[in-house]
Amino acid sequence: MSKITLALLLSSLGWAQDARQIVGEVQSRAKASSQRYEGWLKVVDGRDRVTEKRWVYERIGSAGDSKVVLRFTAPAEVKGVALLIVNHPDRASDQWMWTPALQRDRRIAFQDRSTRFFGTDFSFEDLEERDVSQYDYRVLGEENVDGAACWKIESAPKKTKSSQYSRSLLWVDKARYVFVRIEAYRDSKLVRRIRYSDYEQVQKIWTPMSMEVEDTARKSRTILRTEKLEYNVPVKEEAFTLQALRRDS
Amino acid sequence: MMLLKLLTWPYVRKHKLRTCLTIAGIALGVVIFVGMRTANDSVLYGFQQTVDRIAGKAQLQVTSSEAGFPEEILEKVQSAVEVDVAVPVIEATAATGLAGQGNLLILGVDMTGDRSLREYDLEEGEQSVIDDPLVFLAQPDSIMVSRDFAVRNGLTTGGKLALDTMDGPKQFTVRGVMKPGGLASAFGGNLAIMDIYATQKVFGRGRMFDRIDISLKLEVSVERGKAALEKILGPGLQVDPPSSRGKQFESISRLFSIGASLNSLFALMIGLFIIYNTFSIAVAQRRSEIGILRSLGASRGQIRGLFVLESAVLGLIGSLVGVVFGLLLARGMAGYLSNFLGEVYGVAQKTESVAADPRLLLFAVLTGILTSIVAAWIPARDASQVDPVKALHKGGYEMFSERENRLRRMLALAFGAAALALLFSGGTAGPRLYGGYLCVLAAAVLLTPSLVRRVVALLRPAMKWLLPVEGSLAADSLVQSPRRTSATVAAVMLAVALVVGLGGVANASYSSIHDWMTAALNPDLFVGSSESLTDRSFRFPASMGEEIRRMEGVEDVQIVRTTRVLYDGAPVMLVATSLESLARRIHPKVVAGDPSTMYRLAGEGKGVIVADNLALLHRLKLGDMLELPTPTGMLRLPVIGITIDYSDQQGAFLLDRTLVVRYWKDDTANLFRVYLQKGVTPAEGKRRILERFGGQRRLFVMTNEQVRTYIMKVTDQWFGLTYMQIFVAVLVAVLGIVNSLTVSITDRRRELGVLQAVGALRRQVRQAIWMEAAGIGLVSIILGLALGGVILFYYLGIIREDLAGLRLEYQYPFNIALLLIPTMLGAALVSSIAPAESAVRASLVEALEYE
Repeated sequence: MSKITLALLLSSLGWAQDARQIVGEVQSRAKASSQRYEGWLKVVDGRDRVTEKRWVYERIGSAGDSKVVLRFTAPAEVKGVALLIVNHPDRASDQWMWTPALQRDRRIAFQDRSTRFFGTDFSFEDLEERDVSQYDYRVLGEENVDGAACWKIESAPKKTKSSQYSRSLLWVDKARYVFVRIEAYRDSKLVRRIRYSDYEQVQKIWTPMSMEVEDTARKSRTILRTEKLEYNVPVKEEAFTLQALRRDS
Repeated sequence: MMLLKLLTWPYVRKHKLRTCLTIAGIALGVVIFVGMRTANDSVLYGFQQTVDRIAGKAQLQVTSSEAGFPEEILEKVQSAVEVDVAVPVIEATAATGLAGQGNLLILGVDMTGDRSLREYDLEEGEQSVIDDPLVFLAQPDSIMVSRDFAVRNGLTTGGKLALDTMDGPKQFTVRGVMKPGGLASAFGGNLAIMDIYATQKVFGRGRMFDRIDISLKLEVSVERGKAALEKILGPGLQVDPPSSRGKQFESISRLFSIGASLNSLFALMIGLFIIYNTFSIAVAQRRSEIGILRSLGASRGQIRGLFVLESAVLGLIGSLVGVVFGLLLARGMAGYLSNFLGEVYGVAQKTESVAADPRLLLFAVLTGILTSIVAAWIPARDASQVDPVKALHKGGYEMFSERENRLRRMLALAFGAAALALLFSGGTAGPRLYGGYLCVLAAAVLLTPSLVRRVVALLRPAMKWLLPVEGSLAADSLVQSPRRTSATVAAVMLAVALVVGLGGVANASYSSIHDWMTAALNPDLFVGSSESLTDRSFRFPASMGEEIRRMEGVEDVQIVRTTRVLYDGAPVMLVATSLESLARRIHPKVVAGDPSTMYRLAGEGKGVIVADNLALLHRLKLGDMLELPTPTGMLRLPVIGITIDYSDQQGAFLLDRTLVVRYWKDDTANLFRVYLQKGVTPAEGKRRILERFGGQRRLFVMTNEQVRTYIMKVTDQWFGLTYMQIFVAVLVAVLGIVNSLTVSITDRRRELGVLQAVGALRRQVRQAIWMEAAGIGLVSIILGLALGGVILFYYLGIIREDLAGLRLEYQYPFNIALLLIPTMLGAALVSSIAPAESAVRASLVEALEYE
């Protein structure tokens, strides 16, 4: 084995280890026992038609082992509709939807999570938290994105993790350890592109206050603006149950 | 070909009317066959098309009974490793109230996942509502319709559509318009999509789904997926490809299919005799030409071939005409049949177009040609044996030889004996009844010439007494032309027999249904969720029955849940109610079982009471263990009673409702049977119930009399098709008489000319022909009424043992027989008007020169 080949192999092994550490560090730096924000969602479809929605987002628990309640507040037609997501570190999340007009909850089946999240460019799966342990990582190199030096990392779901995406490319800001861009692929086809921007340090956590998701097939995009963001807010575990979903609607 | 040109073409040109009548004879048989079978196939195809379009990419469907199954089953199915996508579905039909639009098929789906399986090709509207399932799901009044439906009714996105719901008529908002084709074209475009949970609420379905549509993972075969799911779900739920729903539908429409075949056979036989008659006469009239051709060297084979070819050409033309008119007939009948099946069986289907199966059409054409060739075979054989010397003797070929008569009688006896042997053979319905039926027809047809001779001999004195000269002439003409007469009589006899047989079935059905209604349908009021009593889309909560029971003036209420369950591959009606209460109120005819204990035991959930027709069709007897699939597993119950019950044509099980609640997890009701206290009139009771619930729920309150009228209306619809067949059969018979008389007059033109030359008045000639027609009519009626009595026996046997299991009592339809006598005699006389006028108005000189 030539010295060059050995050097490449060693360097790639070294980068493999670094990749996991980098993503782990991103997760670690964003860690909070809870989170709350008001989201403003704008969907621009392929024909430049715009629709807007607002929601309140609450999360309890750490990344990969958390519960989320997402409650729509506007427009009037969807007010009160809520989504409960229970993330598990070792398997796909459980998701339920509550529709107040029908007074019914419905489980979002695992098979349905690749479908679009209520007309946005997110899929239900995109709302899941990506625990670092569920993916394999590899550093592909370094690139500048919007003026920031970034690691370009490839992540692929482990065999135990079922996903609509076969792989994703992650760009991680070297200085702030935050994701700057994510591209998700199904086989070799780019399916979604996520761009993060407007970073602010909220309670010492660098957070993108704006996120844009682009569905490359539909040529539509969804912009999510985060407002009134707070970490480590006092929330109760009981608020993250189906009973609470029904009660609080 | 040369012979055809020399001998046939001039003859056809000279006898255009007769040729047309002959073609019509075969055409009408083909019309009935093609019309009825195509209508039946079209309805079946329409249903299958609706199923396919709705099924989308579904490879398998999980179903239970029509009652559906609890929601929890969905998670079980979704957890199977073989399953890629599994989505719940509810199907229901709802009236729109839009003029001329009929019902809308509502497909309740879960939009969060259903688009993985079905393509909702949306085309209009705001992005937020159209392509935003959130608004669609958040608003229970959301509905998507097909563009066809939207255009027809001037609907656009955001428009309002009124639909009947459990809570009365409600406005729905159109939040999506689907592009035409595929799913949107199912049910003739009268399709709407709603959220499944909204559908549950709107139609009172509780927490139940009708079925689960499944697509399997790529590497999983349908067989493997089916086996895996059957293992997971147990025997109470069926896992089948969507196409299997067509098979269930087929079992419902089978009765029409077999009825169509039997009646087509009859019609073709009638056509066969018309052709036989025409060819017999044609051979007789052209025997001199045949003699000349034979003397010029034409072989017997060539002469036979000529007539066979002639009959084949006529058969082909008749068949093609029959196919064209058959398809036109099918168009009208398919709509009728489709509405009937939708109304009576609650089957969601819509026949959009006539599905003409090329194989069926080819078969019809070949059958028409074959029938024509068979009919012409004997005349063609006779033609080939023409002796030029004998050919000069007029009328020689009109007579049957003694040998021929003996042979016919012997064959008739053999067929008769075979029918008797089959009848007592104790085998299955197939050979015993269908075989016997064919043998009886064959025997009757073979005996016709002998019987005609005897009956005419009996009638001759009466005809002579009525009009001495004309009566004698008419009777003699009939006797001297047994070939022509017997063929016409056979055709009319078959038509009369068909009317008597089908009429007898109708009479017996009406009588049996009337008896059953008297014994079992005795509540004062029926509270249902639809006008038809058969639509099970809407359901009431059982608690509503208790509320009615507590109302002033109400003595008792029976809460009834009816649904179809799959038994032995057929969808069978399950009727569930409080059997303890039922036993106190109704007194059905018990075929087997102890009337004093069977209702008590069934009420305790220890057994099932089975309708007699179901028992006959599925060979069930007392003590047999029934296995009914339920969503919670197999329900095994012994048969503890068999009663006469016409709740459903396919048969019905009677169970205590507690079992349906326990095993089907279904606590809903379709119907409340309400008994009023003495002194409360049905009108008053109806008014009170409508006042109490009318504003809150969709409900229809019908008095006992209204329900009886409705059932009789359904029975009328059922026999509506039969009456149409009868009409066609009579038409064929009339054509036969016209043909026969036209031939008879042409044949006797010289004779009639001589009569007029020696002083006979036109009136006398005219009356002689009328008498001849009346004679044919009368003889046909006598023989047809007798044959009809036997045919009725076979029809009732076939209905009892093979088609519907109905134990209809044999009653000769004297009312129909009495109606037939003037009808057929009138038809015969009307048929004779034109030929008689043609005879008396013909030139005397030409007539005397004839031949």
